[in-house]
This record gives sequence, structure tokens and C-alpha cells, in this order.
Amino acid sequence: MPLLHIAKLSKRYGTDKYALDSIDFTVATGEFVAIIGPSGAGKSTLLRCINHMIPMTSGDVLIADASTKSMNATQLRAHRTQIGMIFQHYNLVNRLSVIENVLHGRLGYKSTAAGVMGWYSNAEKQQAVEILQNLGLSDHMYKRCDQLSGGQKQRVGIARALIQNPKLLLCDEPIASLDPSAAKIIMDTLKDINQRLGITIIVNLHQVDVAMRYAQRIIGINSGKIVCDAAPHSLTPDIIHEVYGSEAGELILDFGEQHAHA
Amino acid sequence: MQANTTIIVRPWNAATVILRTTIMSLIIITGYAFTTFNTRDVDFWAGVDMLGSNFSALLLTPYLKNITFDVMIRNLFITIGLGFLTTIFGAAIALGLALLAAQNLAPRWLTVIIKGLTAFVRAVPTVLWVLIFAVSAGLGSVAAVLGMTFHSAGYLIKAYAESFEEIDNGTIEALKASGANWWQIVFQAVLPSSATALLSWTFLRFEINFSTAIAMGAAAGAGGIGYDMFMASGFYLNLHEMGAFTYAVLAFAVVLEAGATRYKASLRK
Repeated sequence: MPLLHIAKLSKRYGTDKYALDSIDFTVATGEFVAIIGPSGAGKSTLLRCINHMIPMTSGDVLIADASTKSMNATQLRAHRTQIGMIFQHYNLVNRLSVIENVLHGRLGYKSTAAGVMGWYSNAEKQQAVEILQNLGLSDHMYKRCDQLSGGQKQRVGIARALIQNPKLLLCDEPIASLDPSAAKIIMDTLKDINQRLGITIIVNLHQVDVAMRYAQRIIGINSGKIVCDAAPHSLTPDIIHEVYGSEAGELILDFGEQHAHA
Repeated sequence: MQANTTIIVRPWNAATVILRTTIMSLIIITGYAFTTFNTRDVDFWAGVDMLGSNFSALLLTPYLKNITFDVMIRNLFITIGLGFLTTIFGAAIALGLALLAAQNLAPRWLTVIIKGLTAFVRAVPTVLWVLIFAVSAGLGSVAAVLGMTFHSAGYLIKAYAESFEEIDNGTIEALKASGANWWQIVFQAVLPSSATALLSWTFLRFEINFSTAIAMGAAAGAGGIGYDMFMASGFYLNLHEMGAFTYAVLAFAVVLEAGATRYKASLRK
């Protein structure tokens, strides 16, 4: 049974052309999927349709064969708590401490009053501490988030998503604002989460080489349509050029090294 | 040939014509005004001299005559209390309504209605609101509290709502994506992110309300040091006493400013 089934999903902003045009694919539990494509292809829109941050125009998103098309507010909250999300700009509350930001991931499970007052159970705090330890952030637990480096902030973002105990992790350009070494730490962390915890990961990426190194499967999107859906080793430069809609030789690609890795 | 023709650097066009006629008219009006003042036969230099002696009486020789120091301090605190109370009331009302007036937190139609209404409240000056409330409450402290609260709320709703709109929308998105509801997002992300801005605006409004409270003491009979100043100037014609009140007000303004600066600095750390 697939964890996620995206069924003929379309999204149209106003009367513009379709941002997503009949996207259809399934993701099995435990998969690590990378979505590549040029800016404005619809990658971010696709991720946000999965957790209904952006309402879809037509089609459906099924989690474990259950439709999520028409949900009331309670069902929508329950749906979102199962899906962690990680952002390019981390989207932390900078003025709060690291542990407070991590605990925000529990808000979806809490009553309004408990969430408003910031009352967390001991088990939740325990879990937050453990996650921070695993991500190497235990020394920074009480630091304010604006004192952290980009890579540390992104790890806090990952911790906030993990404490939701998600089935699925959506990552929207998680390394686009990071230097190469911080980017490697984040990608290694995601890989580790995928393999050790068995959490399914869908990640939007601009870096084709990173996608080829880490993902089990690469979906290429251009102008709201799926152009390719294949394992990394079966991708050729021609297919990549098709995804980005450019002439051969106009992209910075490092295929030689990739195939050496594979 | 080129040598014989004058080269015009600034050609005549609409802009230069308007600019030059404006400047010329201002010069003519100024000249006309200065030559036709009704000076009531007061000599200019004698006037300057009297102004100087008035200021030295006010600022260099302040003393109290009709009330004691204790009473002055008590009345200063009445004025501070009026400013403080109206700021707190206004802030409490504004905090609730500003959440509904911020475009990133409330539906657009609601923000338009609230912002429109508060624009109207702000457009009418504080003193007018006090006088309007005086119709039902009578001139005095009640009308002053109501009127000043009303205008403070209008001012702070706009200021708070804009502070909310300025916070990073990504944090709202992140909490929403994790399943948090509106109240949780407001208390866990919006308020912590905008706390310093809210505090700055509230302090600024307290400064404004303090000076308005002085004026209301005189104009609306709200009591406090403003009323003492009104009596010293209009009734006893005593500039020395006026000077003492001025220094009392100034001293509090300095303390307020220093306190606000320190408090904000400690929050920012």
C-alpha cells in the first residue's frame, strides 16, 4: 500500500495557466524522493498541496489510500500533524529558544489552551531533548535561534518536524541557503532520518548532483508537469536537459563524478 | 556665430516659472507682513528684552507659591496616572482588534473594516474625543479617560497591526503546517516575534498620552499638574511657579525616556 498517492492533482492560481497540471504519482513508505526542476516549475506548490497549505484546484492527495480532499478543520489539523515540513529559510521564531522552537512541532497535538500557554508534557520535553542530542544541538538548547548559524537553524527546523512523529517529511529547498559543508550535514541528516527512522522524505532540490547522490528516486517537473520519474542511475544528461528545458551543455552538471559514485 | 549668442543654462519652462513665481510671492508676502504688523506701539527690542526676562523667570528662578512641593508631586502623579491608565486601556483594546486588523492573520474584508474605522477614530483629535465624551460624562476626568482611551486604541490598533504584518510569514506558515491553530500561532509565533515592536509603540503612546494628560488637566478639568499650570498661568500669573511645574514635567519625561530605552535594550538581548 503506498503511503502517498497524488491523483491527477492540478493547481491553478486565478485564471493563469496551470501551476500544476494533472500530477500523478505514488510514494511508498520509506522512499527518499527528490523533486527537481527549474524555478517556477511548481515544486513548492506541489509540496504545499500535499499538506493543504495551498488548496488544490482538482484531483486528490491520498494518505494510506484515504482521501484528504474534503476535510473539516479538525481533520486538516490531524492530517498536517502527520506531515513534517522543512523550509529554505528555516522559518523559526527567532526570538524564542531552540527548545521552544522544537516543541512548536507538538502544537498540532495539543488543545488550544495548552498550546497558547506553552504547556508541554514531560514526555514531550524528553523527546525534544533526545532529538536535539541526536542532531548535535544539545549545547544550544537554551540559545535564542537568531544566535545560530544557518546549518544549526536548519537542524532545529528538522527537529521541529521530527517531534511531530511524522510519517512523511516535506523539505522545500532545505539546503538552498546553506554553504556546501552545512548542506552536506543537512542532507546526511535527512538520509539518516530516512534510513534509521523509516520516515518517507520528499525533497525539492535545485542541485541535481545532490539529488542524484541522496535520493532513491528523482521526479523532474517542468511547467507543472512531470517530465521524468526515475532512479538516479538511469538519469542521463539528455533527460536532465529536458527537465530544465535547456539546450545540452548549458547546465552546470557533474555527471562524471556522479557515475563514479554510483 | 557661437561667440555672439548667449547660451541659456536654465531655459524657461513650466517648472522654473512656477518655482520663481512662488519664491517671488513669498518674498512679497513676507515684506508686506513685516511692514504692516500691529505692534501696538511696542518697541521690538523692548519686546525681545521682556521675552528674555520672562524666560529667565520661568527657567532660572522657579519656586512654588500657591501649592506645596508634596501637592505638586501628587498632582504630577495624577497626570502620570491619567496617561498610564489610558495607555493601558487603549493597549488592551488594541491588542485584540489589531489581530483582526493584520492582513496576515485575518480575512481581508475584516481588516479593511477595522482599519477604516480606526482611521476615522484617529482622524478626530484626542481633545475633540474628550469633548465629545464630555457631552455624556460631563467635563472632567471621566471624559478625559474615555476620550484619550478611544484615540489611543485607534492609534495602537494601526501600530500593532503593522507590527504583526511585518513579522516573517514563514514562521506562521511553519506552525500552520505542523497543525497549530490560529490562537496557538498568535501566542507562540506572532506575539513573541513582535513583542519589542509592540512595547516601543506602547511607550511612545504613553509619552503622547502623558503630554495630552497635561493639556486635558487644563482644557477638560481632568486635574493633575495640568490644572496647576492652568491656574499658575491664567489665574495667578506666576511664571516662577510655572517654571517649577515645567521642571517637574521635564524630570518625569527624562525618567520615562531613560526607562523605556533601558527596558527595550534588555528585551532585545
